[in-house]
Amino acid sequence: MSIPKVTIIDYGMGNIFSVSSAFKYLGAEVEIVSDPEEILNSSILVLPGVGSFRNAMEFIKERKLDEAIIDAVTKKGVKILGICLGMQLLGSHSSENGKTAGIGLIPNQVERFTSKEVYERKIPHVGFNSLHINEKQGLFKDLPHLADFYFVHSYRMLVGDIQGRYATCNYGVEFLAAYEIENICGTQFHPEKSQTNGLVMLKNFLQL
Amino acid sequence: MLKKRVIFTLLYDKGHFMLSRNFSLQKVGNMQWLKKNYNFSHISFSIDELIILDVTREDRNEEIFLEHLRLLNDESFVPIAVGGGIREVDQARKLLHSGADKAVINTLLIEDVGAILEIAEEFGQQCLVASVDVKIINGDFTVWTHNGKVMQNISLNKWLENIATLPIGEVYLNSIDRDGTGHGYLIELIEQIPDLFSIPVILAGGAGKYSHFLEVLQDERVDAVATANLLNFVGDGLKKSRQELLNAEFNLPVWDVNLATDLKNCL
Repeated sequence: MSIPKVTIIDYGMGNIFSVSSAFKYLGAEVEIVSDPEEILNSSILVLPGVGSFRNAMEFIKERKLDEAIIDAVTKKGVKILGICLGMQLLGSHSSENGKTAGIGLIPNQVERFTSKEVYERKIPHVGFNSLHINEKQGLFKDLPHLADFYFVHSYRMLVGDIQGRYATCNYGVEFLAAYEIENICGTQFHPEKSQTNGLVMLKNFLQL
Repeated sequence: MLKKRVIFTLLYDKGHFMLSRNFSLQKVGNMQWLKKNYNFSHISFSIDELIILDVTREDRNEEIFLEHLRLLNDESFVPIAVGGGIREVDQARKLLHSGADKAVINTLLIEDVGAILEIAEEFGQQCLVASVDVKIINGDFTVWTHNGKVMQNISLNKWLENIATLPIGEVYLNSIDRDGTGHGYLIELIEQIPDLFSIPVILAGGAGKYSHFLEVLQDERVDAVATANLLNFVGDGLKKSRQELLNAEFNLPVWDVNLATDLKNCL
């Protein structure tokens, strides 16, 4: 098998350095791009990100990265993994600052945790927490029961009526922790910060 | 349910890793030593988080430290908190763009609260860890800043109450008296945490063996334990300690440590 080349999209808000280290550990080649043309020419896309949904979307739209991502994924069948904010950006919209539209590759919405939901727990949700996986195949292959992953977030994606493989996590309220819908994948947690569980998942993603 | 954590702290001084005893430092080895003889890439898979503190007292070289941070990041797939001499948002930004997830501050708490607010504004409260160095003098719990050199005229309890009013994500509570002794954590420190303190607490200073982790992790006020003891947990020390805690059904995250080697260059 030839060495996979991972194209990480840099829009100024990602923990790009750590994501790139994890893929390199597995033996993948990594390139970091911020140009629509390079996104269209990629074969495996990763959209990382930490921070504000609205700021991220403004930057992405300004550079027309959203159109390139949609074309690569829907027309060329390129697979994509969104991590943390990147996972949320692939959704339809977020309630952050009123209502902000996302890239819209999947129909799910993003909303802030409310203090009532999380009941005496702190927001943001920070630390290792366990997943409930609906089908241990594909992105979720070879993971232990109740696999633990590292989360840092105040907003979360609603489970909705998701079709495909997915995992939820409970933080007072159940939310979508990861999904694999055909060639579109996302993780609310940071696989690059989740020890061998995270590395197994990144390997699974590359082998989808 | 959120998990508790076992944290490893590396003390860094101009390219070397240090052993500290009551805050006096002794050189142990450089980056190459850490990687090869200390087998860091193996040990890093048995911890829940890594803290790297640049304890260089003078002539800090920021560029070389960032380079070393990136090298450590290549072999640790856990959250990394980094500190030592952070005085402005710009320094924190460089660390966070070089693989760090959190910034550890100490002296900044008295020097520039404005800078703390700026860092929290840009990166969020979860990325700030307040380190608090404590020494017992005549039975009082006193707070020290500036690498444990300057005593603050305030009780530990009050200091922690002040911290709770700031956008701080975690507190790293360290006993100077127990630091590097291997005699176990100063359990009385836990009693000094104010009631209803809502910030997660990492207890540090004194761990020498597995049972020391066990006795404080049982306390619900302790969210994490840290050790900077390079020699007591050398080899399989941390791996075994972690496994013992898991066997005792402590609420720590679970993964298969043995997969680390199989996953390297597995594609």
